[in-house]
Amino acid sequence: MKWFRSLKTTMNLWTVFSVIFVLLVLLPNLSIIVQFFAEPNENWLHIREYMLQNYIQNTLILVFFVGILTLFIGTSLAWIISAYDFPMRRFFQWGMILPLAIPPYIGAYTYHGILNYTGVIQTSLRNQFDVTVNQQYFNIMNMPGAIFILTIFLFPYVYTITKAFLARQSTALVENARILGSSSWRIYFRVVLPISRAAIIAGVSLVILEVLNDYGVVSYYGIQTFTTAIFQTWFGMGDLQSAVKLSGTLMVIVLGILVVERIARGRRQFSFTTTKVKLLQPVKLEGRKKWYAFSFCMFIFSIGFIIPVIQLIYWATMTYEQLFSHDFWQLIWNSVSVAFTASTIIVIMAVVISNFARLNRGMLAKTFPKITILGYSIPGAVIAVGVVTLFTALDRQLFGFYEWLGLEPTLLISTSLFMLVFAYVIRYLAVGYNSIESGFDRIGTNFTEASRMLGMSVTKSFFKVDMKLIRGAIFGGFILAFIDIMKELPLTLILRPFNFDTLATKAYQYAVDEMIQQAAIPSIFIILVSGIAIYVFHHVLEKE
Amino acid sequence: MFVHIRNLAFKYPNSKDNTINDFNLTIDQGEIISILGESGSGKSTILRLIAGLEMPTNGNIMVGDHCMCSNSTFTQPEKRGVGMVFQDYALFPHMTVEDNIKFGLQKWSRKDKKNRVGEVLELVNLEDYRKRYPFELSGGQQQRIALARALAPKPKLLLFDEPFSNLDADLQIRIREELRRIIKSTGVTSIFVTHDQDDSQALADRIVVLREGEVAQVGTAQEILGTDCNFADRMPVKPRVLSRV
Repeated sequence: MKWFRSLKTTMNLWTVFSVIFVLLVLLPNLSIIVQFFAEPNENWLHIREYMLQNYIQNTLILVFFVGILTLFIGTSLAWIISAYDFPMRRFFQWGMILPLAIPPYIGAYTYHGILNYTGVIQTSLRNQFDVTVNQQYFNIMNMPGAIFILTIFLFPYVYTITKAFLARQSTALVENARILGSSSWRIYFRVVLPISRAAIIAGVSLVILEVLNDYGVVSYYGIQTFTTAIFQTWFGMGDLQSAVKLSGTLMVIVLGILVVERIARGRRQFSFTTTKVKLLQPVKLEGRKKWYAFSFCMFIFSIGFIIPVIQLIYWATMTYEQLFSHDFWQLIWNSVSVAFTASTIIVIMAVVISNFARLNRGMLAKTFPKITILGYSIPGAVIAVGVVTLFTALDRQLFGFYEWLGLEPTLLISTSLFMLVFAYVIRYLAVGYNSIESGFDRIGTNFTEASRMLGMSVTKSFFKVDMKLIRGAIFGGFILAFIDIMKELPLTLILRPFNFDTLATKAYQYAVDEMIQQAAIPSIFIILVSGIAIYVFHHVLEKE
Repeated sequence: MFVHIRNLAFKYPNSKDNTINDFNLTIDQGEIISILGESGSGKSTILRLIAGLEMPTNGNIMVGDHCMCSNSTFTQPEKRGVGMVFQDYALFPHMTVEDNIKFGLQKWSRKDKKNRVGEVLELVNLEDYRKRYPFELSGGQQQRIALARALAPKPKLLLFDEPFSNLDADLQIRIREELRRIIKSTGVTSIFVTHDQDDSQALADRIVVLREGEVAQVGTAQEILGTDCNFADRMPVKPRVLSRV
């Protein structure tokens, strides 16, 4: 009886839709898990015997080196910028996030364009100084090159999380260490790194997940990893079944990383349990030291942002007439319309699930948020495999229905834009969810409870009170998801309908076809949109 | 009896023990009851159970002729006709004082709404603050607006969660006198929870002393707190000064 009373009380539209949305997120992953255990075919036996070891090895080398390098670059920048005052520090505070506006695949072909035989460096050396260099020193299309590219465009993940932690949470400890006479190096290694462990691990984990998700850099540089293997098996060999098995193996690696992250972070949280936030006061650097700090920041900022952007602008001046073509505007329309649709769905789903989770107790309310953010950990290529297997199965089920309707195609949903939007939603739901959840966290449940005590239902309370109080977070979640989708490559490459291109796929396609100058305009457009969003978020909102 | 609470029990999902154990209480119409207890004694939980913001594991709550909850039924908070003044007032920051008060009057006609807002603002002596936003009010004014907002829909029962905890000592003394006057003038049955014996003594007709989720004592202020200041020897709860240290 009590069970029935409980069910009746918690059962409302929010619960029903939350369950449906979470099931939608789970289905593609489940379809991979189910097929992972299916009988293997010959291809898979061949892959497992001769190639899998190479994929694992390359993937782990990338993950390891990019992880270590982003850790040191990200934390050292976070420490210098939080603890010291030097020329342009205020700009670097948010400027250091800008490399994130450049998707690594754009950075990859830009640097290749800068360094190759016909690039600006070698051409200048030949023409101005009559120096011909050994090509091997300028070849970036290899493993160290990929590590460099992924490091320089992904370190802001570690930088932002560690800096936020240091600026707000470390004040007492750092000030104590200063009073006790520790040098800045000593404070960095003995205080900063240990106390920021949880934040650093969180940042590095994000970097690793991005490395595992990457397809553009590794395929352009010709490095065999899991994502390239999934593509090749699927499109080269036409073997979806083996692609599913590779995806399943990659999922196991991702889960392993998430478990290691949990263990490494231990019981440490991102923040101490204090509401008294005291900001770390930066110490003014004098003399040479201030120029060392400035040079280090400027060097990283140059290779992470200025150099590739200048190169792209230069190329754009050669190809700007593209701007006036119908095709280019079609690309913008394609990118914006799918990103807009998917982000809108993401925000609606995120609001429903997070509102359900915060207003209820019990298993479902605890588990749903974890499932919701699952997609962001899973590489795009894996989600693509899951979504395709799911939608093809769905099409097969609906075959009779299509016939009854008199429709010609046998694969209707699995060749439509709907599938791409669905995959975007699963992959980036976490981005919208985290923003909206933090908005709900800030306002707490008191306003909702007050509204209910004044006679409003949960839904009316949401529209009249909660939604108005968290509209900044809703907007933030929408923008973040929108930008991520604009930049997205592997999912779009796999799932786009025939003849459907976005700015990202077109830029990548031009680069692969060695029409690198043509790739500049769509690339700049992506960087511009992302850069403006970063500016708004970390500059204007921080001021507020 | 106007409010009848019988065998009420409650347990938070992550806790091993019951937060509330076999709680029984009857309240007459128009009576002001204070639930007095130290922090963690479960006093706010009782209020939330009566409001419908938590679901009890056992027990019944009747208000007037209506069963608010039993082992087979549960009335949602918005359908209980119970008002509540929150500890931090929870005034909607994006609405003016007038809109905050009108919020609970959604089914009233426009004219009735306007009249009612005037009435309750007059009751709390803040007629001129109609167009202000909550952040433009002092702590004491916010509390009075929260009271006006809770009173506006004419609730059968009014609940107060630590109503004075955000006010400084001088204001606290002035406001609780005024609060008693207002409550008595409306005749609404009220329950407020506090950890402060002085609040209980000044406001309540009867005091319920709560300890570890169970009723330790029920009686008038005179019966429980006595009249002299030497509470420490006789009291089941520590006096205010000690409990705050």
